[in-house]
Amino acid sequence: MISLQPLTNPKTSPLYCHPFSPKTLKKKPRPLTVHSLLQYNRKPQLSGETPRVVVITSGKGGVGKTTTTANVSLSLARLGLSVVAIDADVGLRNLDLLLGLENRVNYTVFEILNGDCRLDQALVRDKRWSNFELLCISKPRSKLPLGFGAKALTWIVDALKGREEGAPDFVLIDCPAGIDAGFITAISPANEAVLVTTPDITSLRDADRVTGLLECDGIRDIKMIVNRVRTDMIKGEDMMSVLDVQEMLGLPLLGVIPEDTEVIRSTNRGYPLVLNKPPALAGLAFEQAAWRLVEQDSMKAVMVEEEPKKRGFFSFFGG
Amino acid sequence: MTTMASIWTLYFHASSFPHRTLSREVQFQRYLGFACNCKNCSRRSTLRKFTVRAVKDEVIINNSVKDTAMKPQQNPVAKFQESVSSLPLLIFKTGKYSGTSFAVGLCIVATMLIIVVKGYAARKSRYNRPGSVADLVRRGQLRSDRRGISTPLKYEDPFNNPMVKVSKSNSSVEMCGKVYRLAPVTLTEEQQSVHQKRRSRAYQWKRPTMFLKEGESVPPDVDPETVRWIPANHPFATTSSDIDEDLAQNNVYQKHGVPFRIQAEHDALQRKLEALQNEQKLNKLVIDPAAARDFERPLKSHLKSGDQVEQSISNPKLSPNPPKSDRAHNSCEQNNL
Repeated sequence: MISLQPLTNPKTSPLYCHPFSPKTLKKKPRPLTVHSLLQYNRKPQLSGETPRVVVITSGKGGVGKTTTTANVSLSLARLGLSVVAIDADVGLRNLDLLLGLENRVNYTVFEILNGDCRLDQALVRDKRWSNFELLCISKPRSKLPLGFGAKALTWIVDALKGREEGAPDFVLIDCPAGIDAGFITAISPANEAVLVTTPDITSLRDADRVTGLLECDGIRDIKMIVNRVRTDMIKGEDMMSVLDVQEMLGLPLLGVIPEDTEVIRSTNRGYPLVLNKPPALAGLAFEQAAWRLVEQDSMKAVMVEEEPKKRGFFSFFGG
Repeated sequence: MTTMASIWTLYFHASSFPHRTLSREVQFQRYLGFACNCKNCSRRSTLRKFTVRAVKDEVIINNSVKDTAMKPQQNPVAKFQESVSSLPLLIFKTGKYSGTSFAVGLCIVATMLIIVVKGYAARKSRYNRPGSVADLVRRGQLRSDRRGISTPLKYEDPFNNPMVKVSKSNSSVEMCGKVYRLAPVTLTEEQQSVHQKRRSRAYQWKRPTMFLKEGESVPPDVDPETVRWIPANHPFATTSSDIDEDLAQNNVYQKHGVPFRIQAEHDALQRKLEALQNEQKLNKLVIDPAAARDFERPLKSHLKSGDQVEQSISNPKLSPNPPKSDRAHNSCEQNNL
């Protein structure tokens, strides 16, 4: 149990909290840097074996998988990493809409398999960030045989690794909702998973199931993003807190995304949230989640809303 | 300055003892009498005015229209009084301030405002200089709140955001008008492994490798847990494997050249073009002006005929030439055909 008392010690920095364990009773507790709050002005250190193939899944639909894929992938591209985002939803394609690239998708994986185009011709390069590319599985009316999609996606990722301009640093796969053939297709080539969930019981149950399936399939590196968090409802105890969610699922936290109306506006514009200036709160949270993904780090603390402190008479003068 | 001080003192007494009108009047007269001893006699006219007004607990400053006949005052105090008396009519119900003190206060406030504005402008220009400390703040090497710089940082780093303010004394964070507290994560490695064991017991799942339709039997060497049954009405179910797996794999790994189907279509188009060129009809594909005119819009042809009429009216000598040349051209084309 980590004690909060040292946080109020004026001698310590607000960025540190002290871990408490039986082994260190006699020794002075070491200050633990809270990475989740502020990062220093530096680029993240890419860790792990490249290309890192990450599947973004949830189980339940509408929790924000596609939004997370779009924003995290563009954040990674802004950090200077080469990213390929794959929309693995066979039949219900919408990652291109979020990115504003819907008019530029001419070829999909279906055309590649049929021999109508090459892989590099099907990749849509974003004009805003040249190191970001999008690949869609299929057009809405085309059909892909069940069981064949998994092999196809594995070949695609393998071909991306061996391409001439070099393997991308990240391959992010936007998984469709559910746990049927689309889910199996999407998780086939993945080494890591990001589980997107919301703080409600229905989403948590599906997330737990999906986590179990991922672990059965051999994906052990699973991190969680809690989306659409309302700190005011958590304060009023109408919504589960992020720590409650973590207690139920037992997964490390990659990010906490607050509820933000700017998400809908960015979807309408086809302009991801992370590119907003000034930045939106949710955009900031996505960028920090992307940072932790690169460094294979997780959150060490979360922010809990409190009552604002009452200002004295002299606070008018800046006190 | 002493006269100024005496003025302030006088008014203070007047406000604190509003009922002693007589004494106030006397004191006023005494002061003004003292002032008069060293000034011109023309001030006696003003003396009378001030006396009347002091009785009523209100200070009324009249226009100096009546005083225009007076000689110009050399005394600075008198001049100041004149300038004040030239101000428009003002009524102070509090009874504390007169016109002179109000003007003095106004001047002091204006001076302070000018000083503040100048200081702000100087500070701003100092920090906008290239290579100044503001560059260090912008780059995130120095924190702006510690230096007391009021301008926010430009957004270049997602983690160095002016909207997020961390307090120095405790673990609270102020962001967008709300205050948050840092609550550390409590998940340990042991708890994580407990959850993993729970899920492995609850969710026994194997990746499906065999997709069978209704009526098909399960092959003997296949694990039944890896078999999935495709319902007949599934939207993505195919009755037969339309895609050759080997061909599809080759297509995916293709790096150079044009895919087979596109190459085949290109060759077919090339052959068709060559065949067309060999035929005689290609040579006769020339634009016939007569035929072109038939396809012209009625407006344009109408306008052209109108233009020709105008030309014929304006230049009767030139009008026959264009039609003659057209006719000659047409006759040549007809001969060629």
